Amino acid sequence: MASIAGSSALSFARPVKAINTNSLAFSPVRKGNTFLHLQPVPMRSVSCAAKKDTVDKVCEIVKKQLALPDHTEVCGESKFSELGADSLDTVEIVMGLEEHFDISVEESSAQTIATVEDAADLIDKLVAGKA
Amino acid sequence: MPLPPPPSPSPSPRMPGVAGGRLFASLPPPPPLRSRREVHVWYLLPDELNDASLLKMYTELLSPSERKNALSMNGEKLQKGAVLSRALVRTTLSRYTDCKVDPRSFEFKKNKFGKPEILWRSDDSRMERPLHFNISHTSSLIACGITMDTPIGIDVEDKKRKTAKNILSLARRYFTPSEIDYLAKIPDPDGQQKEFIKLWTLKEAYVKALGRGFSGAPFNKFSIILAANNRIQISVAPKVSNGSDSSCDCLSENWQFALAELNSSHCMAICIEDDSTSSDSENGRLPLGLKVWKTIPFVEDILVSGTEAVKLVS
Repeated sequence: MASIAGSSALSFARPVKAINTNSLAFSPVRKGNTFLHLQPVPMRSVSCAAKKDTVDKVCEIVKKQLALPDHTEVCGESKFSELGADSLDTVEIVMGLEEHFDISVEESSAQTIATVEDAADLIDKLVAGKA
Repeated sequence: MPLPPPPSPSPSPRMPGVAGGRLFASLPPPPPLRSRREVHVWYLLPDELNDASLLKMYTELLSPSERKNALSMNGEKLQKGAVLSRALVRTTLSRYTDCKVDPRSFEFKKNKFGKPEILWRSDDSRMERPLHFNISHTSSLIACGITMDTPIGIDVEDKKRKTAKNILSLARRYFTPSEIDYLAKIPDPDGQQKEFIKLWTLKEAYVKALGRGFSGAPFNKFSIILAANNRIQISVAPKVSNGSDSSCDCLSENWQFALAELNSSHCMAICIEDDSTSSDSENGRLPLGLKVWKTIPFVEDILVSGTEAVKLVS
């Protein structure tokens, strides 16, 4: 449609195409150029608490050990006691975490773990200690 | 036109708010604990307890913090289990004070390692020798063990419980060499699982009796030996001379065990302090006196020891 103001007529005359920078990698024009693969940076919580990946892995192992239904909410704050983990569950969970992260958890440390976040924290420390 | 609601029934002995004694009026009192060697176990089956008014009554026996704790459990089944656990402890203890102490009145404290104990008030001095208790629960059975004047640990486990990890891997990670050997020699997986559960519950019962927590009595620092004649013994690893392992300073061997199959469904292990003197011979040691009741607090008790429901293994 005809516009009165000269400068704005230009902006309406042609639709401006929004370019998704991620799609640049897939553009055929870029073939042969370096494939710039933009990955999202892992989110770390500001308080230097356990890494999200570790927390997620602990949640996964816990859910599996306790055979919790899929829709059960398990997160960093979840307490093992409230999820119904008894002592045999707990030692199996600890063993599962040791195997997955290739660490060794002392009984005295294991006893201080109350939440998923505590476990993830301990794992991160033990893994860092090995590096 | 809807009918008016029926008048509320007059308070019966089972209504909340009635003094402890009347609540148990219809049931005979439990026999007294006659010696330090007697253990009385009261158990209930959560799946049988679904009456809403009864559960409400049990909930009202709990302290505010116990109620809060029960509600914080994930899901109705776990919440119900938590309520039943505390109700079982409170009602059972009350009965062993001749109902002089109301179930709601008990206060509990934790020892420095976290083991729950009764906090007796100064006016309970009529309790000449204090009651000790310990509870254990699985999703399908909750048990409370009571003794007079001796620490007790009790552990129950579904006898068919399957572990996620391989039994020998678990044993290698947590048990002692002699226990691993014992399990490794069992050829069939079912037999091995059965013996694992026996060892597990016995070790748990010992740690709970000791009251020092899992790290205060690490599983790999003491061995449970299941002898051919069904005797159960405990052997503590000798203390390392460089004293690097101070956590095992006080692991003691003067403890007595009982192992039984309960309700045809569960393995139950009990551990109490052994007060026999050193002059008592091994063969002369008196067996632990065990009595077991299946109960629905306020409703019914069934003495099951001496029946098929309690098969003593030792």
